[in-house]
Amino acid sequence: MIDPQTLIDPAVPPGLPAPSWFIQSFKVLGFTLHAVPMSLWYAGLVVAMLLHLRGSDQGRRFAARLITQMPVIIAFGVNLGVVPLLFTQLGYYRFFYPATILMAWFWLAIIVLLIPAYYGVYLYAFGLSEGGTLTPLRRAAGWVAAVFFILIGFLFANGFSLMAHVDTWRDLWLNHSTGGAALGTALNVADPSLWPRWLLMFGLALMTTAVWIRVDGAWLAPKESQDYKRWAAGAAPKLHTLGMIWFAAAGSWYVFGTWSDALRESMFAGWTLVPTVATALAPGLPWLLLVAGRRAASSRVVALLAALAQFGLLALNAFSRQIVQNRSLAGLLEWPQQPVAEWSPLVVFLIVFAAGLGLVGWMIAQAVRASAEPPR
Amino acid sequence: MHYPWWYVPHLTAPMLIAAISVAHVLVAHYAVGGGLFLAVETGYAYRRGDEQYLAYLRRHARFFILLTVVFGAITGVGIWWTIGLASPLATEVLIRTFVFGWAMEWVFFVIELTSAFIFYYYWQSGRMARRTHLTIGWIYAIAAWISLVLITGITAFMLNPGGWQGGGSFWVAFFNPQFIPQTIARTGGALLLSSLYVYLHASLTVGDDRLRHLIGSRSARPALLGGVCVVVGGIGWYLRLPESSKAVLESAAVLNLMVALIVALTVTLLVLLYLGPYRNPGWLSPGFAGALLLFGLAAFSTGEFIREAVRKPYVVYGDVLGNQIRADEIAMAREEGFLERGTWTRAFVKANYPSLIVEQPVEGRPSPDQIDEKRLLTLPQKDQIAIGEVLFLYHCNDCHAKSRGYSAVRGLLQGRSRAMIVSLIENLHKAHRSMPPWSGTPEEAEVLARYLDQIPPPRTSGTFSEFEERESK
Repeated sequence: MIDPQTLIDPAVPPGLPAPSWFIQSFKVLGFTLHAVPMSLWYAGLVVAMLLHLRGSDQGRRFAARLITQMPVIIAFGVNLGVVPLLFTQLGYYRFFYPATILMAWFWLAIIVLLIPAYYGVYLYAFGLSEGGTLTPLRRAAGWVAAVFFILIGFLFANGFSLMAHVDTWRDLWLNHSTGGAALGTALNVADPSLWPRWLLMFGLALMTTAVWIRVDGAWLAPKESQDYKRWAAGAAPKLHTLGMIWFAAAGSWYVFGTWSDALRESMFAGWTLVPTVATALAPGLPWLLLVAGRRAASSRVVALLAALAQFGLLALNAFSRQIVQNRSLAGLLEWPQQPVAEWSPLVVFLIVFAAGLGLVGWMIAQAVRASAEPPR
Repeated sequence: MHYPWWYVPHLTAPMLIAAISVAHVLVAHYAVGGGLFLAVETGYAYRRGDEQYLAYLRRHARFFILLTVVFGAITGVGIWWTIGLASPLATEVLIRTFVFGWAMEWVFFVIELTSAFIFYYYWQSGRMARRTHLTIGWIYAIAAWISLVLITGITAFMLNPGGWQGGGSFWVAFFNPQFIPQTIARTGGALLLSSLYVYLHASLTVGDDRLRHLIGSRSARPALLGGVCVVVGGIGWYLRLPESSKAVLESAAVLNLMVALIVALTVTLLVLLYLGPYRNPGWLSPGFAGALLLFGLAAFSTGEFIREAVRKPYVVYGDVLGNQIRADEIAMAREEGFLERGTWTRAFVKANYPSLIVEQPVEGRPSPDQIDEKRLLTLPQKDQIAIGEVLFLYHCNDCHAKSRGYSAVRGLLQGRSRAMIVSLIENLHKAHRSMPPWSGTPEEAEVLARYLDQIPPPRTSGTFSEFEERESK
């Protein structure tokens, strides 16, 4: 019998280029930022496809709007996903690499699925653009893209649940190896936490899509009719309710059905009780705002507050997940004791980051100003 | 050694990196040079009031976004995916060294995406002032070039880290001896390759002779300038190679051929660019433009192959070897055993061959259990072969397939006796410049040889097998 600990590289990690709090903070921040656009292709695309197929006129209008926005959403979402993965590989490399190597072909399949999914969205969007025709091929491309994005979510859930369950590595490795080398064909499907983790994210994604509907109606669609705005204000709380029920069911299954007693006790004790309970209750705030603001269909304030509340929910979820990940790896996760030897790269990055945000803000301001101009 | 090895039949896992990298590089250089092309040419067309050229540039921007933002960006992530799977130790070292280099590159990529989308979509809507539109085009061009500079600092480091000694300063690592030559070469490559993409796109989509001539002649100068930069950067690259890489380049026949090929392709391409788009823009037919692009892609792919090959046996020169061992770990592995020093090899032996494990508390170890290397040769032959396979996969499979495929040992070892194989294993780095040193004990070499010995077929006729038969009698 192999002690799981023996599969963790015993080499003492040398000093890291940033303190552990910085690495974890950027990992959480990056995941939160990534979760916004990711939700829109994960659940939003399916919702849009269904609405476009069977929805009301306004529902179809929203679907067309979301799908034509989707290429830009995907570009930024993929890009924002780089940040949490980069800091995961910096701080959690001893868990990340073995877990992904054990499921290497599936992990690589994320890239293989992403390229056609992305082009599929473009194809569908071209069919909805001015002068475009939604041919059966373009419709099929849209559905294939929606399915591929859900599959990609499943594969990510596999990788990250495997990363946190070192105790499952041994059997997966020995059953999926030749001569001790991983075949890369191991999926973590025997892990009971995989399924609720995957579904939990889908519930969150439904809620984020609901808030996006409201934001689109109030902020992004000044030229759309009042009917559209009313539809958006009415549809958003309904979808959010569905997402919240989904989230509550998957979350309860995850917490009470798959966590070890020790993990559950630790998450419901001491200071961690606050983020745990807050994460469970947080969906209520955007839901309340959406429900309360149903009649104020054009209210930008309601949309903005709901968006902020939803962002807060995503941030809380990312924060709590980080605590769960750290506690699941307790005893195995070591942060180096050496102080950071060189601060200048971190400082230069922060300067570049701030300057980059400023430049992006300036460009967006130019775009917003141009949107208000008549065509030249 | 530190991580599980991923067995990819026939191809070997690192060849997946090569396949995805080449696909990415051929588009990524266009993402840089194409941005400069769009900024310069849009400014030119605005100044001249050439609406026909502007309409073409708008169409080209759409093609550019569809290719670079989707395929280019996702294959870029794909490289990162595959290096983590096929070369995890090197990726760990690179990320620890350059995390903020990558983070800065990410910032510039956000700027690129924002500017690219605004440049294209607001052009289409016709609502943005031309001056602002052009400024955003230039922001894209500059951000894309800075991304190239940042990533070149990291890839150049892998070939020659200079004064960085296994954990030195970020800045020493980034401004390595290969940084400037490779930045010049890649900037030139971006200019050259983007012109070739433009030629093909224009030859297929532009029917008007005046416009096609204009595009042909306008893009010829950057292409030729790019060619000169590639040559200058290439010379600098050679001069700044580590001694061992120069020796590999000079001694490997396949690399000699590749160098000859890249020189021939580059010269042909530059001559065709001069005679074609520069002197006779009317030659820009789809066939001619397609041939130019094919020459360019072939030259680039050859260049990337050479760049990777001369680094062997290292992934990070002087630090991480191709088989995922750090250079400073070799001596200990030769003393204590490759199986013992490897986290996953050790776990494999412990799970499958407990008779090899001895209870021997050793200071500084995570567990008192240890593999007794001496017992390896007492195992039944089939078990020795099975352990030999483990050694092969973890020590050799990064460069060699088993029976069929990339540099398969079946062909390489055909006709060698077991004694010769043992000698080869123990003198790997002496036998071949691009091989790492053997990182195991003599017993492990023997066990590996037993495994390798049963892979190749007997000598065929025509290979002087009669001498062997006579000697054996």
